[in-house]
Amino acid sequence: MARMKFICDAERCIECNGCVTACKNEHEVPWGVNRRRVVTINDGVPGERSMSVACMHCSDAPCMAVCPVDCFYRTDEGVVLHDKDLCIGCGYCFYACPFGAPQFPQAGAFGLRGKMDKCTFCAGGPETNNSEEEFRKYGRNRLAEGKLPLCAEVCSTKALLGGDADVLADIYRQRVLTRGKGADIWGWSTAYGKPDAPATAPAAGGKS
Amino acid sequence: MSHDMTVLKRLLWMVLTLCALAGGPVFAADAPPATAADQALRQQSQPLNNAPVWREVRSGEQHYTTVQGVETGVLIQSGGQTWRALRNGPLMLYGGIAFCAMLVLLAVFFKLRGPIRLSEAKTGRMIQRFNTMERMSHWAMAISFCVLMVSGLVMLFGKHVLLPVFGYSLFATVALVCKNIHNFVGPVFILSVLLFIVLFVKDNVWQAIDALWIRKAGGLLTGEHVPSHRFNFGEKTWFWLGVVFLSLTVGISGLVLNFPNFEQGRAIMQTANIVHLIGGLIVMTLSLAHIYIGSIGMEGALDGMKTGYVDETWAKEHHELWYDAAKKAQPAEKPAGGMPAPARV
Repeated sequence: MARMKFICDAERCIECNGCVTACKNEHEVPWGVNRRRVVTINDGVPGERSMSVACMHCSDAPCMAVCPVDCFYRTDEGVVLHDKDLCIGCGYCFYACPFGAPQFPQAGAFGLRGKMDKCTFCAGGPETNNSEEEFRKYGRNRLAEGKLPLCAEVCSTKALLGGDADVLADIYRQRVLTRGKGADIWGWSTAYGKPDAPATAPAAGGKS
Repeated sequence: MSHDMTVLKRLLWMVLTLCALAGGPVFAADAPPATAADQALRQQSQPLNNAPVWREVRSGEQHYTTVQGVETGVLIQSGGQTWRALRNGPLMLYGGIAFCAMLVLLAVFFKLRGPIRLSEAKTGRMIQRFNTMERMSHWAMAISFCVLMVSGLVMLFGKHVLLPVFGYSLFATVALVCKNIHNFVGPVFILSVLLFIVLFVKDNVWQAIDALWIRKAGGLLTGEHVPSHRFNFGEKTWFWLGVVFLSLTVGISGLVLNFPNFEQGRAIMQTANIVHLIGGLIVMTLSLAHIYIGSIGMEGALDGMKTGYVDETWAKEHHELWYDAAKKAQPAEKPAGGMPAPARV
């Protein structure tokens, strides 16, 4: 059985937010919730990188570990899903998750939380596959239709990949090996010093 | 060996989280400052080594995103791992052990020692100990406390204790009800605590005779009655530790969790939850002893809070100095009408 994973290639992501939009549209996500978002590190600084992030479907999922009603479950393909009928909206998964994946539509005054919503890897929920009930609560179940997550499928630069981890690893390995050559290969300058580094001004106070 | 290290690390984190209550978020504080300048420099010196970016990924700092919301610009927030390790680890384990141990201890004590009885016969003459306002504030606090304790225990331990018995659907319903009750009763508890503090602080300050109570350990082991004013040192300790410090700590940290609409970040809520758990587990455990001594553990103790009046024998044996002063201040018999103010010393 395949182990489903996402990977975002930061060397390719162009911060177009196509994945964010596609996800929101495909699943008709509740108002105020974005199952996927693109974060740009040090925006505007040379060397900035963008990454698309959503639920990473962890092997040792923190949300699952802290849920007081144990509403999370893992499918045979390693996708972490949850049962909205059991969810009590306590917010513990939101405290525990490092990626900010679990989000809560506001269900009342004073920030009262509704049922948690998060990325499902386009795999729906515990209801019958592709039923109306499932779509209303969790969005489309593309995996049951034999399709991969839409965010990765629409990615214009194929920065975001989603699917069987073994296949993704092969694709990514191929990219790393063939991306640039000689001293342009990632890590070369770290391993072998600074090839013809431009004459940068020495730090103030440092030895010249 | 490595297990010891983990425990040490967790203890360190616990201290850090406690410090954070006073000093703001510590979770992000150990990360280096924004490295944008570093990164620009690195792009020139080693264009293919973008380590400053990857350092930022794990920093917990806000970066740019078009998605609106609280902390959406944070790519990875690492504090949740610490929160999870503390909550699911030592807090649940030692908190659960402490709570159960107190229950067992009280049961054993009751079996061996039995209730603390009056040495002399009741006189039948009643003397007022608490007025209506004082009793109302105590019971408002006590009832809301018990509701919060039960619902809190369900949310912390229910997954391991009730879920296997109830099954998923029923337990989720119970937990949902508990969560909502906990969230709405919490503020009521805080208000009743504040009122209680205002009403009782005057009689809970240090008095010279308290030293005697400490020297004799309250007469708990000897069975001797140690004289005291309106409240003895044990009651005063419970007032300052249980009501003032612990209940307010739990109350304030609870408010942080109860109102996420003030856009507080995850680090603050994780810290607040740890403080809430530590404070809650301690105060719950200690409250068992208070409930015991105030009900089945001591003959006549419950009457004071139930009716407002205690028998003169009880007053004399447990609070002799208060009794003497009260005798001077008001007639002995329970008045037929009207409600005279209780004597204070």
